[in-house]
Amino acid sequence: MIPEIGHIILISHLVLSFMGGILPLAAIYSKNDFLSIPTKKLSVFLFFLILVPFLVLIYSFLIDDFSVAYVSQNSNINLPNYYKLAATWGAHEGSLLLWILAMNGWLIAYMFFNNSKDKDYISTVFSISCQVIFAFSLFTLFTSNPFERILPIPPLSGADLNPSLQDIAFTVHPPLLYFGYSGLMIPFAISVAAMLFSKDTKEWASNSRPWTLMSCSFLTLGIALGSWWAYYELGWGGWWFWDPVENAAFIPWLLSVALFHSLIASENRGVYGKWSILLSIFAFATSLLGTFLVRSGILTSVHAFALDPERGLFILGILAFFIIGSLFIYSIKDFENETTPSYELTSKEFGFLLNNLLLVVLAVSILFGTIFPLIYEAITDGKQISVGAPYFEVILFPFALALGLLQGFALYLSWGTSSSFKFLPRLLIESVSIFVLILIILFILFDNLHLTSFATIFLSSWILMGTLQINKNKNLNYWRFLRKRAAVTFAHSGMAILTLGVAVVSSYSIEKEIILAPDDSVEFGNQTILFKNTEDIMGPNYFSKSATMSFSDGSNISDVLTEKRTYSPSGQLTTEAGIKTEIFQDLYISMGDNLEADIWSFKVQIKPFIRWIWLGALMIAIGSLLAGIKRVRKT
Amino acid sequence: MNPIRKQRLYALIAILIGSLLATWLVVSALSENMNLFYSPTEIKEANLDQGTLIRAGGMVKAGSIIKSKDSLDVSFTVTDYQNDLLIKYEGILPDLFAENAGVVVRGNLTPEGDFLAIEVLAKHDENYMPPEVAKLLDSKE
Repeated sequence: MIPEIGHIILISHLVLSFMGGILPLAAIYSKNDFLSIPTKKLSVFLFFLILVPFLVLIYSFLIDDFSVAYVSQNSNINLPNYYKLAATWGAHEGSLLLWILAMNGWLIAYMFFNNSKDKDYISTVFSISCQVIFAFSLFTLFTSNPFERILPIPPLSGADLNPSLQDIAFTVHPPLLYFGYSGLMIPFAISVAAMLFSKDTKEWASNSRPWTLMSCSFLTLGIALGSWWAYYELGWGGWWFWDPVENAAFIPWLLSVALFHSLIASENRGVYGKWSILLSIFAFATSLLGTFLVRSGILTSVHAFALDPERGLFILGILAFFIIGSLFIYSIKDFENETTPSYELTSKEFGFLLNNLLLVVLAVSILFGTIFPLIYEAITDGKQISVGAPYFEVILFPFALALGLLQGFALYLSWGTSSSFKFLPRLLIESVSIFVLILIILFILFDNLHLTSFATIFLSSWILMGTLQINKNKNLNYWRFLRKRAAVTFAHSGMAILTLGVAVVSSYSIEKEIILAPDDSVEFGNQTILFKNTEDIMGPNYFSKSATMSFSDGSNISDVLTEKRTYSPSGQLTTEAGIKTEIFQDLYISMGDNLEADIWSFKVQIKPFIRWIWLGALMIAIGSLLAGIKRVRKT
Repeated sequence: MNPIRKQRLYALIAILIGSLLATWLVVSALSENMNLFYSPTEIKEANLDQGTLIRAGGMVKAGSIIKSKDSLDVSFTVTDYQNDLLIKYEGILPDLFAENAGVVVRGNLTPEGDFLAIEVLAKHDENYMPPEVAKLLDSKE
């Protein structure tokens, strides 16, 4: 009975979001107050209409109601309660509910905390958001109903949640990512409303900026957590694979970063208004495109959702409707009466133009590589190819280089006029000193210098000093720094730290596959690895063969546990890596095959500075969140 | 030249140079880093160069997996139910690698006509079938 209640409330959510998508617009354009509805209250009401079905689904998981098809496919009696909760968004149907919930959350936040006084304009933003929400609600009910029943005879125990998803990072990674994706709905709705009401560029840009920043922050966190999860859970020790799903998140991330930078210029100087509108549309569109690519199963990806061409078509329909609709409004809109202030070649405006150009062209190149297998298959009549990671690395490098160089001095540029480059000699001296310092530290730590990493390491110190020094120049006291510059300082230094992490981990990592018997040891890097013993462990829903390994560098000895788990309902194997985390490096070992008796193969890796990648990403996320919240509260 | 025109010119030049460079980069990177997918039958018919990096795949034949006792060498046969291909690999296989399951490998052909894999692709869902293999099997049914 309870799942049916969830189903019915979901249907009422569909109906109400449809009305929310139509009525406010009808009221504005017919100038008929009879049609107008209280949009603020409606946004709260809509939120509850999606929250209840979501809670109902969670409840069905917790009480093991296997008559619900979705529960029986993704849970099991023996699954720990905590993972039953997380299993709610472990597959397609439930994750859609979460997605819609996130969109409604953003909508409430926008309705209560936006900085515009124009009622009609806000109602329009509300209406367009409701249309997006309606489309997703329709999609859920018609192709992916999470409350579908298996009747009359429900299965007794359920198939289980995919074992590699039974993990702490997985429980938070999807919600954060969906918050990021769905947040891009708000800038999209704002850009369409801004066109419909011919809003002044400065005004709508200031309205859009906090929401773009916050979505970007959540996207950053979601992507970073996904990378961390893949690193330790998949047992390969990689942190980025250029898998289509990763690209599907990376592309909207790049565009949202481009967007909030372009919005800075739009808000402060009234420039790039049209460009910011287009970017808002495409940032939103690529977040939908990512969903389409992943859930239709047309691309080879490690992220396997149950595949269904009908779903793919439906998402494509949603995508087409919103892109064509908004671009149509863009094309018939008369932008001619807008005046744009002029700027010089070495001004901040031009800096933002270069930043956007680089980010967008990079995003397009990555998108092209991601969908090229589809294009190729279509033009060669079924010949299949894949585009490997080297393609993306070759593409990324020059763009990252140019972006980093720009980032180092961009904060020094001045609005409108030609900038003075007096700061340059000092910045150069300082970043070279930091660069040399980092090299010395690396040499002390690893007895080695890799030429290939020099450019990127220099870039990192260049970005870092460019970010830190400007605060000194401005003579800020502590509080003024926190108020004015903390967000950008945090985010840009985060980028420097992330760059350093990437540079070091990609050139200093070592790995080896070894075969050991108990009490055997092997030399690896500056470590001695000893295979102590194996042990059998019974988990709540798995059986595991585990090996205790000890790492020793002469002075410190530490034990780690690596496991080969067999999950009971599905019989699926997973490898749990044993990781010893230090500030400057991770020691990483994963169990391979049992060769004979107690002899096992292992893969060992040393990953220097890998934590710095996620630390950098975390700082970027905190910085952009601070910047967003600050601008919400300013109103 | 008036300032607005001048700044449009800057923007235009920047965009033009940017996109030209990007196009060149994309084309050259793509031509070096795209791997064609072959089924065992196609490999037999195609007469490929030994050095070329390609991807191959099919179903892992039951009973064909041979693991060495004292090294990480492993070999197995993949099939598209018309032809077989012997795959050789040195390293630890992914957890989801199993008999009668689909697999995709990346590597090149050896002089003996076998396939030397440098990577065996792992997918983290047991029910997942690589689209290449799924299509392959569909067309054979």
